[in-house]
Amino acid sequence: MLVYVVRRLLAVIPVMLVVATVSFILIRLAPGDPASVIAGPYATGDDIARLQRSLGLDQALPVQLVKWWGRLARGDLGDSIFLRRPVLEAIFERMEPTLLLTAWSMLVAVAVGVPAGVVSARYHNTTVDQSLMAFALIGLSIPNFLLGLLMILFFGVWLGWLPVAGYVPLEGGLWLNLRSLIMPSLALGLVQSALIARITRSSMLDVLREQYILAGRSKGLSERVVIYKHALKNAIIPTLTVIGITFALLVGGAVVIETVFNIPGLGRLIISAVLRRDYPVVQGVVLLIALTYTAINLLVDLAYLAIDPRIRFR
Amino acid sequence: MKRTAITLLALLALTFGAGAASAQDTPRAGGVIKAAMIGEPPSLDLHWTTAVIVQQITWHIYETLYTYDKNLTPVPMLAESHAVADGGRRYTITLRKNVKFHNGKDMTSADVVPSLQRWGKMSTTGKALWKTVEAVEAKDPYTVVIHLKEPSGSLLYGLGSPNNGAAIYPKDVMAAAGEGQIKEFIGTGPYRFVEHKPDRHIKLARFKEYAARSDAPDGGFGGKRVAYADEILFIPVPDEAVRLAGVETGEYHYAQTIKPDQYERVKGSPALEPGVVKPYGWITAVPNHKQGVMANKKIRQAFVAALDMEPIMAAAMGNKAFYRTEGALFYPEQTAFHSQSGVTGYNQKNPAKARALLKEAGYKGEPVRWITTKEYDWMYNTALVAKQQMEAAGFAVDLQVLDWATLVQRRNKPELYDIFSTGFTLSADPALATSVQCNWPGWWCQEEKERILGEMLRETDPKKRKAQIERLQAVFYEDVGRVKFGDYFTFSVTRKELRGFHNAPFLYFWNAWLSK
Repeated sequence: MLVYVVRRLLAVIPVMLVVATVSFILIRLAPGDPASVIAGPYATGDDIARLQRSLGLDQALPVQLVKWWGRLARGDLGDSIFLRRPVLEAIFERMEPTLLLTAWSMLVAVAVGVPAGVVSARYHNTTVDQSLMAFALIGLSIPNFLLGLLMILFFGVWLGWLPVAGYVPLEGGLWLNLRSLIMPSLALGLVQSALIARITRSSMLDVLREQYILAGRSKGLSERVVIYKHALKNAIIPTLTVIGITFALLVGGAVVIETVFNIPGLGRLIISAVLRRDYPVVQGVVLLIALTYTAINLLVDLAYLAIDPRIRFR
Repeated sequence: MKRTAITLLALLALTFGAGAASAQDTPRAGGVIKAAMIGEPPSLDLHWTTAVIVQQITWHIYETLYTYDKNLTPVPMLAESHAVADGGRRYTITLRKNVKFHNGKDMTSADVVPSLQRWGKMSTTGKALWKTVEAVEAKDPYTVVIHLKEPSGSLLYGLGSPNNGAAIYPKDVMAAAGEGQIKEFIGTGPYRFVEHKPDRHIKLARFKEYAARSDAPDGGFGGKRVAYADEILFIPVPDEAVRLAGVETGEYHYAQTIKPDQYERVKGSPALEPGVVKPYGWITAVPNHKQGVMANKKIRQAFVAALDMEPIMAAAMGNKAFYRTEGALFYPEQTAFHSQSGVTGYNQKNPAKARALLKEAGYKGEPVRWITTKEYDWMYNTALVAKQQMEAAGFAVDLQVLDWATLVQRRNKPELYDIFSTGFTLSADPALATSVQCNWPGWWCQEEKERILGEMLRETDPKKRKAQIERLQAVFYEDVGRVKFGDYFTFSVTRKELRGFHNAPFLYFWNAWLSK
């Protein structure tokens, strides 16, 4: 077991090296450069060249790449060109909004999606089912930024209940923080809940056709016990898998929603870094995401090991 | 009796009503002005960048020796006065005394001289000006002498330029920065820098020891500056719809660059004040004079002959209040420099002439590579309409849509394009305007134009400068230096409670206050 874990951990190193190199090369293959952006629209070619020199961007690519490896080996992601601070610090500053937004959206997605799916399955082929599934179809089709903008117009501008944009950090008070995240979490979560509802419904329908449900019903169990105790427990497994995938989708969706609602999270960081070619930030965030995914994969594999005794790693 | 009572009541009401109105017009200190900006500044070092947003934010912090009055002519700011000697080749500038930096130190010539030297070495405007500067020296703590190689009509304009301006920094800050950007943001302005939380806000607070000028505000940027608000928050809000929604709900007091098609809606809202920033800039297409099809003058003349500017500008701005078809190089608001003389090739709407010119030039349908961007939709929209008009006259146009970062890089490479889209914001000094510089992408380096520019740089008499501008305009249209589509104005929205605010071509919030 320990040997396995150590082996897996060691395997992370080449993966990270590949990711670091590929992200380094890819962002530099994109046309445009940070010096032209900093220098502004009326700068001359000479001004831009001077900036490139002072940012060290005039060095040959292999030289820059080796320097980047060297820094990485020391655990240093470098400094952001635009933010005038280390990349790691910039990333940590943006963690809170993104984590909270993702968590709340997840909660919305599950709290709406699972009950909707169960109710739909229970009242299969009735008006309830059809209207719920029609909503789910709309939810799957509507882009989350559009839903976000519509909500801003309705709840923010017309009704004036919620702030149209911006983020209040946790230190500014729990309620204010929550208030600033209600609309973004709904915009992001509702769209995902549609997927969860559809999956829950179909897996519930499968389970409800099983023999043991028939047996339960014939021995006189109430419909509620059959549905919630016996059927749902088994039907929830595919839903759990989807919830896992949803998490990845939410992080992607957060990139868009953070821009719409002006939330200073990781999504905004990536978008602005790409737009202004802040190379170190793009590399750092890509590396961080890769590291997170690798870690999750490793944890999942270890969880299999713990849960299923038939699995033995060598 | 009854009537008397009613009259009294009416009088009372009038008195109080008037009282309320004047209370609203009396500046009130306090509050936080929240300004929704289009994005993040790429730097906070004004010497480093020509990006407009950097000027808009940082010139609350930093000040310059000169600034502009409402006619956009230079007036002293940190300078007290100056004397010109030696046939216009020596400027002796007396500095104002008891002006404090935000770090508490007095501003003296020991700060001013290195600031000017750094600006002359680093900034685009400064470098253009420094060609004529021989030396800058401190005569005593409050006197700076600038020695010129030849007389200059542009020196004070340049020193007063807000964009990429000659900000006066403390000498220690510059020493600590070395060749790089400054790391501490200290100036003498009415607001001091507090913090920059990227994508969240830049916070400025009132500088309590600010040394304001004693002369009254002059309707431009000169005179007394007062920081009425306790703080200003510059909040980056990249989405235009969110900027507008935020100012509607009162989250922000100011939102910049709103789409002109929202004008009627904003006008109808009792809480909002629509603002047209006029003049603001030109919308233009810059031909590549160095290589490719546009290096041929006849083809450039065909390009400009084919164009009908009204539909082009309408596509860019939508609402007529936000543009004018105007071919002169300087704005009607710049009374000293505006003239129609020499504006010969603007708005020709003559595809037949264009066709004939193309034939004369031996144009064989080589694609004209036009690079533009949707990040500024007016750039893309003008390019799209102009492309159709060019094609109707026999051009083949390859419109390449890029992101802004790519465009500003590619336009420095002459082999990559024939035309690029851009805008030129207001330049108070005609000789320093980017629109006529040779060392800028497009490389319009025509001999006669360079000669006129050289003369203009030396000329100090505004009347003579105007005559030079008229000659310059004639060359501009004959040689087709750039293709000017027209003047555009930007749309900013403020809340009614933000008072004393001017929609100036260079955004500022000093002298503005919150009535609640």
